Amino acid sequence: MSDPVNPSVDSPEYPPELARLPPGRHGLPREFVAHNQRERLIAGLAEAVAENGYAGTTIAHITRHAAVSRRTFYEHFNSKDECFVAAYDTVMAELRQRVDQAFSEEEEWPQAIRAGIAAMLEFLTAEPHLARLSMVEALVAGPVVIERYDSAIQGLVPYFEAGRKGRSAEVLAGLSPSTEEALVGGMVSLISRRIFAERTEELESLLPDLVEFALTPYLGSVEAAKVARQG
Amino acid sequence: MASKSTPRPLPGRHQLPREFIAQHQRARIINALTLEVSEKGYRSVTVADIVKRAGIARNTFYENFGSKEGCFLAAQQFAMSAALGRVVDAAGEIDDWPHRVEAGLAAFLRFVAEEPALARTCMVDALAAAPTSVRYYEESLQAFVSLFRLGRDVSPHGQELPATLEEALIGGVFWILYQRLLVAEPETIGALLPELVEFALTPYLGAEAARAVALEEKDASSAPTPEA
Repeated sequence: MSDPVNPSVDSPEYPPELARLPPGRHGLPREFVAHNQRERLIAGLAEAVAENGYAGTTIAHITRHAAVSRRTFYEHFNSKDECFVAAYDTVMAELRQRVDQAFSEEEEWPQAIRAGIAAMLEFLTAEPHLARLSMVEALVAGPVVIERYDSAIQGLVPYFEAGRKGRSAEVLAGLSPSTEEALVGGMVSLISRRIFAERTEELESLLPDLVEFALTPYLGSVEAAKVARQG
Repeated sequence: MASKSTPRPLPGRHQLPREFIAQHQRARIINALTLEVSEKGYRSVTVADIVKRAGIARNTFYENFGSKEGCFLAAQQFAMSAALGRVVDAAGEIDDWPHRVEAGLAAFLRFVAEEPALARTCMVDALAAAPTSVRYYEESLQAFVSLFRLGRDVSPHGQELPATLEEALIGGVFWILYQRLLVAEPETIGALLPELVEFALTPYLGAEAARAVALEEKDASSAPTPEA
């Protein structure tokens, strides 16, 4: 059982009710275990969904995991769906931040793409329940979440569009308006299939294939393969 | 078995055979579910909605399907086999692999454009319905993988291609079609054919050869434009 809390029990920021929070049995990152009820409800939902699936999760499950009252739940959210949207947004913000950071640390675009994809796979592997929440459960959590899901995927397009910069006319002629959409859709498809099948341990081994697939339209297959296999 | 909900026989002396009525009923129920799901989303649809839309008794629904989920899975299977049937018909006879892919993609796009409710069922709603439908969706994609995989034999560097290439290509094509279905623009789908063909063939043949196939002049019989 890991200690999910950062501040010590004696520190002034440590709210007394946090002592009642059950330890994260599903390895939630400490960022989610919070100093406020909303975040604890989000963490509680994530744990409840990991145990019961979205359809099988009740508000009672959520409040039990969050160690708050039902009344408190309704102070923050009108429904299970709404709580899920908040949880989804939280996970996606974390994922986005990691991908962005890894991407921006590289000077050259091909390496930046590789770093961004690696960061995504690393997060999904380290947090298999959050991976499932954001890519499997999200699909059955209502239209608001599905829309968020679609936007999140389309939101990856600009990272790849950046690869058009400086390419020869010949390369650009081989790209179409939907190239980046197709690349992103294809990569997400590979990743989400493995998450559906509960094979998250295979995700990191996808890295070379994903990088080669993504870079080939811009660099050609030989160069793309080289970047893909870089250590 | 006798059923109160058996439709009255047509005027005249002919009785429709019971198997025909049963099959027809099943199709009616599937059709009703498909329409209800496309309007309300899978979660909100109830068996009551379906039976009302189909104009049948609740008993009749349960004589045909055990549950909403079972009915949806049947709808999805119906839709997917309609799609695959068109692809196999169009592509099956063609020996030249790039043209086989082109014909298969054209047939699939025609299916999406002409039967958007069925396409939505197996490509959009299926992912948000139930675990059984997601599993079936994954299996269906495998059928397309085998079509694409033949390209490795005709590709100069077939050996070096990533193992997951076909999966990724198909995932990409489906994602694009999904986006178009979401915004209900089936009429724009035919125009995607050249770029999808190029996208699919490039990893095997190189950009130039792929583009040549994609941009070939088409005769009227294979044009993917919708009927006027």
